[in-house]
Amino acid sequence: MNNNTLATALAFLLLIPAQALVFNNLILFNAAVPLAFIYLIITLPVTYSANAAMTIGFLAGLCVDILSDTPGVNALAATVLAFVRRPVFHLYMAADNDLAEQRPSPRNMGVPAFLKYAGTMVFLYCLTYFTIEALGHFDLSLFLLRVSASSVYTLIMLYGLTFITVHRHEKRL
Amino acid sequence: MKDLVEFLRRYSKWLVFAVYVVLSCLLLSSGDPYRRHLWLTSASALSGGIYDAGHNVTSYFNLRDANDDLNRRNAALEAEVVNLREKLRDLQLAGFTDTMPTPDSVPHFEFIVANVINNSTVHPYNYLTINKGLADGVKPEYGVIDHSGVVGTVSVAGEHHSRVISLLNPNFRLSCKIKGSEHFGSLVWDGKDPTVALLEELPRHTVFHPGDTVVTSGFSAVFPAGLPVGVILDNAHGRKENFFTLRVKLFADFTRLNNVQVVINNLRDDLMAVENDPMAPTDNSNSNPAER
Repeated sequence: MNNNTLATALAFLLLIPAQALVFNNLILFNAAVPLAFIYLIITLPVTYSANAAMTIGFLAGLCVDILSDTPGVNALAATVLAFVRRPVFHLYMAADNDLAEQRPSPRNMGVPAFLKYAGTMVFLYCLTYFTIEALGHFDLSLFLLRVSASSVYTLIMLYGLTFITVHRHEKRL
Repeated sequence: MKDLVEFLRRYSKWLVFAVYVVLSCLLLSSGDPYRRHLWLTSASALSGGIYDAGHNVTSYFNLRDANDDLNRRNAALEAEVVNLREKLRDLQLAGFTDTMPTPDSVPHFEFIVANVINNSTVHPYNYLTINKGLADGVKPEYGVIDHSGVVGTVSVAGEHHSRVISLLNPNFRLSCKIKGSEHFGSLVWDGKDPTVALLEELPRHTVFHPGDTVVTSGFSAVFPAGLPVGVILDNAHGRKENFFTLRVKLFADFTRLNNVQVVINNLRDDLMAVENDPMAPTDNSNSNPAER
């Protein structure tokens, strides 16, 4: 088991309970929801296959769904996020970059590129998540408020998490 | 065969994506919240264990609020005991002692105290998890209240935890009436403000005023009649429709639920048997309408 697999397993075991016990209780103004567990998907090494990423995303989403009583919502949104992960990454980083086994992070990509990548991923996740949730109970103003507020709030949380988890030996891509 | 393997290899990404999307959609469409498998809810042993661990830590932070709350409730109950003693003494003096219920009669309702270990108010369909389950006598479709009003009903009961459908869930409808009136309607949440619900289907000739109290009607075996639910804010749709739809400010603060009580109706099975028995006598004019 290499370091990346171990780090991914550890992130899974820490972030899923943290989402249920901590982040689900940090909701602001009943609109901004910090969906911070997607840090797990966003920072998966780019060299991970799409199938592996989708499997990790689906399982993570399913676990959060079971803990949060939102059956299928996070599982579907996380699968979609894992599916688009690599194309979104290459929007901001050249495909011929030396990616090695590195994880996307501010240190590896540079802060502006990471914020664009993470911001796009977070927005896509929030858009998918709240669209699925709103099925049958659609309220446009509430939907737009929740997508925008949750995207900004989640991005801030994710950026905070990068300071906790980024290893000092990571090299800049 | 080789072509098939090559096809699967080439399009495996799309196939895996399709499989996970289908699985997710099956979960999304698994309709009835009362029939969901225990392991797919927060009432399962693993989920309950995680929330118990969190609750053991966070419950200490709420001790001051919990203590203030208990003091308030204690004072209110003491006042109620004094009032009831006075009423009992007056009735005994009036010679009605033989009509009073004896101490060994079966109480109609009993309560199980539970702690909320998981709660949500931001989703369109909200649930909460409590730390009592089948082993404690909690069963599906039992009512849940807190000191200020109705909270929801148990949908799935595990051995030591239960999932409760919150009042903030459009799948939950509660029969309510305006206090002092016999006109009743159906209370349901519209998915917007967690402090406000709608009292629908109230007849047009109902007289009401903003600030009037809304209570449970008792037209079910789940909640006793007269439990407080909220106060009327205003009429949501004006006088355009055949029924009033009133906006009701809920008494229960769903963002700060901590201690709740599960309501056990000891006569529930008898009531259900009577309601489901086609041969039951239909003349029940002498019975209390709240217990039908």
